[in-house]
Amino acid sequence: MAKFIMITYYLLTAFIATLFFWNFWQEKKKIDRQILYLLVLIPLLLRLLRIK
Amino acid sequence: MRTKIILLICLVFILIWPAIQLYQHRHFQIPIVAGPGVTRVTKLSHYLPALKGTMADTWIFWLEGQESGGKALILGNSHANEPEGMLAALVVIENGLVERGTLLVIPQFNHSASRATRPGDGYPLYFNIDTKWGKKKFRMGNREASPLDQWPDPDVYLHYPDKQLLSFLDARNVNRTWPGRPKGLLMEQVTYAAMELIRQEKVDLVIDIHGAETMFPVTNCIVAPEKSAKLATMVSLTVKATEKFDNHVEPSPPKFRGLSHREIGDYSDAMPFLLEAPIPFLDQPTGPKTEKFLLDGKDPFLLRLSRKNKLFVPYDETGWPIDKRVGQHLSVTLEILRQYSRRTPERSIIIHNVPRYAEVVEKGVGYYFQDPSQVRRDRIYLN
Amino acid sequence: MIAKIAVVLISMVVAYLVGQWRRFSVELSLFLAAFLGAGCGAIFSTPPWQEILRHLVEGSFTYLDVILVFSTATIFMAVLRESGGIDYVVQATMNSLGKIRPLALFILMVIVLIPGALTGAGSVSLLVVGAPVAAALHHLGLSRPRIAAILFILAGLSAAAPPVNIWAMILCAGTAIPYVGFELPLGLPVIFLGTLTIFSLGWRPEKIAEAKENWEKMDIPKGMSWWRIALPFMVLFGLILAYRLWPFNLPVLGLPLQFFLGSITAWLTSPKKLNFFLISRETMVRILPLVSTMVVIGMLQQVMTATGVRGLISYAVISIPLVLLFISLAVIIPISEGVLTYGAAAILGIPLIWYLDSLGYHATVAISGLSLLWPLGDGLPPTALIGRLSVMVSNYEGSYWSFLRKTWFPWIIITLAGILMVIFSAKLSFLVRWSTG
Repeated sequence: MAKFIMITYYLLTAFIATLFFWNFWQEKKKIDRQILYLLVLIPLLLRLLRIK
Repeated sequence: MRTKIILLICLVFILIWPAIQLYQHRHFQIPIVAGPGVTRVTKLSHYLPALKGTMADTWIFWLEGQESGGKALILGNSHANEPEGMLAALVVIENGLVERGTLLVIPQFNHSASRATRPGDGYPLYFNIDTKWGKKKFRMGNREASPLDQWPDPDVYLHYPDKQLLSFLDARNVNRTWPGRPKGLLMEQVTYAAMELIRQEKVDLVIDIHGAETMFPVTNCIVAPEKSAKLATMVSLTVKATEKFDNHVEPSPPKFRGLSHREIGDYSDAMPFLLEAPIPFLDQPTGPKTEKFLLDGKDPFLLRLSRKNKLFVPYDETGWPIDKRVGQHLSVTLEILRQYSRRTPERSIIIHNVPRYAEVVEKGVGYYFQDPSQVRRDRIYLN
Repeated sequence: MIAKIAVVLISMVVAYLVGQWRRFSVELSLFLAAFLGAGCGAIFSTPPWQEILRHLVEGSFTYLDVILVFSTATIFMAVLRESGGIDYVVQATMNSLGKIRPLALFILMVIVLIPGALTGAGSVSLLVVGAPVAAALHHLGLSRPRIAAILFILAGLSAAAPPVNIWAMILCAGTAIPYVGFELPLGLPVIFLGTLTIFSLGWRPEKIAEAKENWEKMDIPKGMSWWRIALPFMVLFGLILAYRLWPFNLPVLGLPLQFFLGSITAWLTSPKKLNFFLISRETMVRILPLVSTMVVIGMLQQVMTATGVRGLISYAVISIPLVLLFISLAVIIPISEGVLTYGAAAILGIPLIWYLDSLGYHATVAISGLSLLWPLGDGLPPTALIGRLSVMVSNYEGSYWSFLRKTWFPWIIITLAGILMVIFSAKLSFLVRWSTG
C-alpha cells in the first residue's frame, strides 16, 4: 500500500509539474514569470527523476 | 518562443551538474573492511524480510568470540549527519577481536539517511579522513531518511504504540520510530527489525552512538533509562577518573517516546545506552558548514559564546575534533562492556584491539582504517 | 572569518535591493540575493564554485512538500468555488446566523481556526475556508482590508493552535523536548486572542450597501445542495481525522493527496460541469508567487548556511543581553519568519530555547509564547506568505500596507501575550501540568 501511495505522489508531482510547464509555455509577455515557473520546476523535476 | 527555448536551455544547464552531483552522492559506496575479528556479515532484512531490496536494508557485522557469553549491539549513523557514531563503529569492525561473547555492529543504521542530503542546511556532500595510505572518503548524510525511500510524510507523526504526537519529520527519523512495527512506515520497519534482532539474539546491551550540539544540554553524556542508569554512572565515573574526560549521565525521560534509550529498554530485556559527543557542526550559530569545520569542530562564533558561558561543554581554540569525539565514544563503549562483564560474568563480552580515547586522539581515527585496495575482496562490504 | 561573512550578508542585501530597484518581483530579487550571496561566498572559499549550483538546487527542495500542499489545497478550493458551493454556504450560513452578529463572528472564527489547528498550516485555513468566511464577513458589512486583516491574524493563530503547531514541533524535534503538554499553553491564548481579534476588528459594520449589492449578485447554480458541499469536506477532514484516530490501521496519505482526493470529490459532486484541468491550470497561475517564494527561500536558506550568514544572524540574536532580548523578540521573531518562514524556528528558536532553558525558563511555555509571535511574521515581506494569501482570498486589491496597518491592535496584544508567556514561563508551567493531567 505504501508503495502504491508513493507512486500516486509521483503522479501528483507530474501533474503539478505539467501545469507549471504548460503555464510557462502559455506565458506570453512577462519574462520574470517565465523564470519563476522554471524555478518551481527544479525540485519537481528532480523528484520525478528520483535524483533528490 | 525564442526566449522560452533559451530559458529552457538555461534550466537544463542549471540542473545537469547538480543532478549528477546529487545522484553520485546517493549511489556512492563506502568500502567497509571486515577486520580479522568479523566472523560473519548479515543483513538487517534477515529479521524483517520486507526490508529486502530497499535502501533501508543495511549490513550487520558479527564479531564472535571463541567462548560464549553475552551479546552487545552497536549502532552508528542512527542520525547520518552525526558521523562520529559510524566512524567509531567502523574502528570496532576493522580492528576488534572478541575473545568472549558476541559483538554486533551496524555502522549505517539509517542507511537511507546516509544516502540523503539535507536541504536548507548547506552541508558538504562528503568528508575525508586522513589515513596512513591516503584519504578515506565518506558520504555526509542527513538526520532523516530520504523521501525517495519513504514518501509522503504524515501531517503529524503519531508514534507507535503510544500515539504521542511528533513532528512530521520524525516519521523518517529512526530515533523516534522505536520500537517500530512490521507493517508500518519504512523507518518503523527498520526499528522493528532491530528490535527483533535484539529479542531473537538475546542481546544484553545496545549502544546507540550519536553527536549533539554544544548548545544542547543533553550533550557529552550517556543517556540511560532506569535499568541502565547504575551501569552508566559507573562508566561515567571511571572514564572521568582514568581517562580524564567528562561524560555525565542523563536520565531517559519516560514521557518522550520513540527514542532508542527509552523503547529498547521497555520492549526487550536489553539495557540501552545512547552516547552523545559534542559536534559543533550541528550548532545553529556557527560559521559556514564546511568539511573542515565538521572534522575539527573549530568555530569563532562558538568560541565567543563559550566565553559568555552559553555552551554546555568546555570549548576553546582547539575546537572539538573528530578524533576526540570518536575516541570518547570508543572509550565509553569499551567501558560499558567492561563494567557489564564484571557485574555479570556469565554474560561477559571481552574485546581486544579497539583503541581508547588517548590513542585515537594521538594517532587520529584514520590510523585505524585499513586500505581497501590491500584487502581480499571478499572482506570488503560496500555500504 | 566574521568580517567575511558580514561582507556576504551585505552582498545579499544589496543584491535584493538592486532587484527591487530594477523592479524585479520579490521572488526574483530573493533569487538574485541567493545567487550573488553564493558567488560572494565562493570568493572567500565557501561554498566552493563547483558547489554553488548544487546548493541552489538542493535548497529548492527545502519546502517541496509545502509546495505540494499549497498547490493541491488551492485546487480544492478553486473547484469548490467554481461549482458555486462557496456562495451557497455563505448565503445559507448568513441567512440563519447573520442576525446575531456576535454569534456569527464567533462561529466564523472557529471555522477559520479548525483547519489550521488540525494541519499546523495557516495557509490551509485560508485556502479551505478563507474565501467563504471572507464572503460572510463582507456580508456582515466589513471592508476588504479589514477582512484580510481578520483572516491573516486568525490564520496565524490557527497555525499556532493545538494539536498541530509546526513551529513548536520543529523546536521540540530540534531541542529533544517531547511535543506534549501544549494543549493549554497554546489553546487558551489562541481562543482568547482569536476572540479579541474578531470582535475588535469585526464588531462595527462599515460598508453595508456594497455588501448587500454583492449579496444579491450571488448566483447559486441549480441543483446545489448541502450534501454536494459537505461531501468534499467530509472526504478531506474524514481522511485527516481517520489517521489521527486509527494511525496504525490506515496508510499515511499525506496532506497533498488528501486535498487532491477532496478536489476530485468536489469535482464529481459539482452540479455544473467543470473542466478540472483548466481550473487547476488557472490555480497554478494564481499561486505562482507563493510557490516560487517557497522555492527561492529554500535556496536562500541553504546559501545563508553554506556561507555562514545564517550562523552570524543566529549568533547576533543569542548574544543580545537578556532584558533586551525579551524586548527585541517583538521584532526579531516576526522578521525572521518573514525572511525564512519555518527555517526561522530552527535557526533562532533552537538556540534560544536551549539558552532560556538553561536559565530556568520553562521550555514548553516559552515555545508556546514564541509560537504566537512567529505567525505575525507571515505577514511581513519578503515572503509574507499568509499575508498575501489573506489578501488573495478576501479579494482585496488595494495597497498591501493599508491591509497590514489594520492588524495593529491584535498584533500588539499578541506580541505582548507571546513575550509575557516567555518571561513568565516558569510561573505558567501549571498549564503544561494541567494539559498532561
